[in-house]
Amino acid sequence: MHNPSIDGARHVPAEDAPAKVCGELRYATDLTRPGLLHACLVLSPHGHADVLDIDATEVLALEGVVGVYSHANAPDTPYCRYRILPGQPGCIDDEALFARTVRCVGDRVAAVVATTRHAARTAALRLPVRFRLKDVLLDAEAALADGAPPIHPGGNLVHEFAHAATCDGVPAGTGITMQSDVATQMLHHAALEPHTCLADWDAAGRLTIWSPCQSVYGVRTVVADLLQLPYSRVRVIKVPMGGSFGGKQEAILEPITAFLAMRSRRPVQLTLDREQCVRATMVRPAQRSHVRTVTSRDGRLLELEVDTLLAAGGYASSSPDYAEAMAKKVTRLYRIGRYRHAGRVAYTNTPVAGGMRGWGAPDIATCVEIHLDRVARVHAINPLELRRRNLVAALDVDPMSGMSVGDARVGDCLERGAQAFGWANRFATEPGSGRYRRGVGLACGAHKNGMYRPDSPDSSSMTLKMNEDGSLDLNATIHEVGAGSLPTLRGIVARVLDVPVGHVSAGEADSETSPFDFGCFGSRMTYVCGAAAHAVANELLGLLRRRAAALLGAEPSTLVPRNGHLHAPDGRALSYGEVVVRSRMADGSDLIVTHTYRARSNPGSYSVQFAGVEVDTLTGLVRVTDMVCTVDIGRALDRTRVEGQCRGAIQAGIGSALCEEVRLDEAGRPASGGFRSYHIVNAADMPPVTVVLVEHEGDDGPFGAKSVGEIAAVPTTAAVVNAVNHALGTSLSTLPLTPERILEALDAEHHP
Amino acid sequence: MNLEFILNGRAVRLEAAADARLIDLLREPLGLTGTKEGCGEGECGACTVLVDDRPVNACLLLVMHVAGRSVVTIEGLGSAAAPSTLQQRFIDLGAAQCGFCTPGMLMSATALLWRNPHPTRDDVREAIAGNLCRCTGYDAIIEAVLAAARDGVAP
Repeated sequence: MHNPSIDGARHVPAEDAPAKVCGELRYATDLTRPGLLHACLVLSPHGHADVLDIDATEVLALEGVVGVYSHANAPDTPYCRYRILPGQPGCIDDEALFARTVRCVGDRVAAVVATTRHAARTAALRLPVRFRLKDVLLDAEAALADGAPPIHPGGNLVHEFAHAATCDGVPAGTGITMQSDVATQMLHHAALEPHTCLADWDAAGRLTIWSPCQSVYGVRTVVADLLQLPYSRVRVIKVPMGGSFGGKQEAILEPITAFLAMRSRRPVQLTLDREQCVRATMVRPAQRSHVRTVTSRDGRLLELEVDTLLAAGGYASSSPDYAEAMAKKVTRLYRIGRYRHAGRVAYTNTPVAGGMRGWGAPDIATCVEIHLDRVARVHAINPLELRRRNLVAALDVDPMSGMSVGDARVGDCLERGAQAFGWANRFATEPGSGRYRRGVGLACGAHKNGMYRPDSPDSSSMTLKMNEDGSLDLNATIHEVGAGSLPTLRGIVARVLDVPVGHVSAGEADSETSPFDFGCFGSRMTYVCGAAAHAVANELLGLLRRRAAALLGAEPSTLVPRNGHLHAPDGRALSYGEVVVRSRMADGSDLIVTHTYRARSNPGSYSVQFAGVEVDTLTGLVRVTDMVCTVDIGRALDRTRVEGQCRGAIQAGIGSALCEEVRLDEAGRPASGGFRSYHIVNAADMPPVTVVLVEHEGDDGPFGAKSVGEIAAVPTTAAVVNAVNHALGTSLSTLPLTPERILEALDAEHHP
Repeated sequence: MNLEFILNGRAVRLEAAADARLIDLLREPLGLTGTKEGCGEGECGACTVLVDDRPVNACLLLVMHVAGRSVVTIEGLGSAAAPSTLQQRFIDLGAAQCGFCTPGMLMSATALLWRNPHPTRDDVREAIAGNLCRCTGYDAIIEAVLAAARDGVAP
């Protein structure tokens, strides 16, 4: 295999960067089609109620209104928005296009289709709907209590599990038992682009969907199954996406937009406003975990048990898999004598929960890392030292998955991060006793590289074609989320074949034309799809060498690819374009290959982060003063992009520690408005972040690269919370750490 | 109402509902879709445009308030074929990830550089405090603005 090195210091801007910065890139909300109709959803204002009747008569008479749809005139086949493959385990078909019984505020009751956005919205606001209210269950614990009214006919327990694993290397013994309860809150993904979708139904009976989604094949499966269409009649085209963070990974708006287009026999666009995005898409689930450890006197983790209770919201969606994912992270990070993780997932009358960046890894890291700081305090061990004594090392086998953690360098992350942060001195510095107290915190996190497991494959198919001028077209199911998947894959192909990156084109996913791929999640883009691009480029290079060898009368393996030419040892060379043209003219052969790459490993990805905070004990406000973010990246293919991922992850992680929360009133209503009541960290509050990348080779990613986008989001929240607890001497563990919670904790300290 | 104003340096005259939002006028009849709507309540800054050189949320401004004034949108700064200095710095330094906040971010930053060609890092942070970004953590954006200021040519 031809495997040259790559220069990560060179930033290759995305092809569409000029269009983005000049407002010329067309996002889904910017698209239009002749005869376009606009849809507006009518969402439930109630947390739990039966829909008695909907009287559309008056609304249908309004100017511009062409249709009103609800459970009364739409299919009520239940489906699972999270599905990618038919028959996929873990998918619960419990949601319909329109609810007969609404199960959360924001549940879909009806949709109005009209000729203008304004007409659709006006009519939706006026549609009379009668409800019969039912008891609302907002808390997972209450939903699972004896006698709790069922939210779905089968009861409120969606899923439960218990997993255990033992690690041989840890000595047995007795030690100190400690327990914590850590609660994380519902989060809004807060992609700046609201949820949106455009669908059209043509005279030939074909549905086309333009969506900023993370899986065109997943959307196709859900929509085609629901509307009973052959898969070949549903074409899903990924369009530029204004951010997702997991919020657009499931088929949320596509089924309903497709249905409305099919019924209207015209193109339909559906765009939510920000308040609707908070209520009617999905949130990161609220969960509460009880963490119990037994640690030896020298701080070794003899036992770690976690009991998780997670609120799925009104529909199951990905919550069962999400909760399961939480159980698969800790043993990739620490050597634990005996690990046990039990979990329960409950229906609640809260916004539908689902995957978010990190997929359970930030949630469990937050629980375990906050707890470990308490353990460190009781043992009087430096929190850094406690981690040092328990972290995995390269080539350890994760007892939970049975897979190697690969060339894991989390230990290097810890040491280099501590040095960059000045941990030793800063941790030893007293927080102060005046109004402002300073503290420092650290946290470790583990995640994965793709979805490969010994019992479950992860693969990606790509086609690479060389043109008569030597330029290349990569046809792959790529979902650019803004992180740079397209330029990354183009760069990999360009490097293998040694052509300028501008000579490699790659479009985005289109279910009609691009080969199957699961989609953009599971931290699989670089490690799996990048490796697929590397493999398909190598296969094409092999073919190119054989063709050129025949033309030159040389041995294929002696031909060296350099700057768009194959060079023979005797000094002769052929340009790629010449090989293509001459092959085609000689015997009609073509330079095109399709390769299915099957992942064969899934090493850990790691990040250790350090935070400094200043807490105002008068107001309860926390200022994060600085952070260090280390990532075991393997190899940074484009350092600028990697740093962007790290800083963006930290922006979200600080928010989840301090201020972000979808807060509900006692009836289950989220606070009104969007960013008016849901605060994300702005430029003025964002601290300086030093990024430290631990680079090495030894895993199967392209040029040694591993994932970054999700792992960088894993330890941030815990690092910030630990810093606040260090500053105040508290054990705060209910998130977010609002000023109210901080003042309450300080009060309790003064008046125990 | 009969509305007259200057849009990206050119006089515009058209019939518009006085209570229409500026963002809707720009995006629909005028086809300037570079101005993005992220929240519709003046909190995210994605729809920032310049009215008489000051950054304003186009989702909150009614069209009657731009009568007789000068409006600059992202399309007025440069084009993909000929980006402005600041836009070029955004490209070079990876300041646009998903790109949805980018037009608004550029408008706020451009207004800053027009009134203060040599801003400090804190000046930049303050100037874009009303523009939310979920991708970048803001650093690349701030660096791009400072780099454009160092370039010393009109943004």
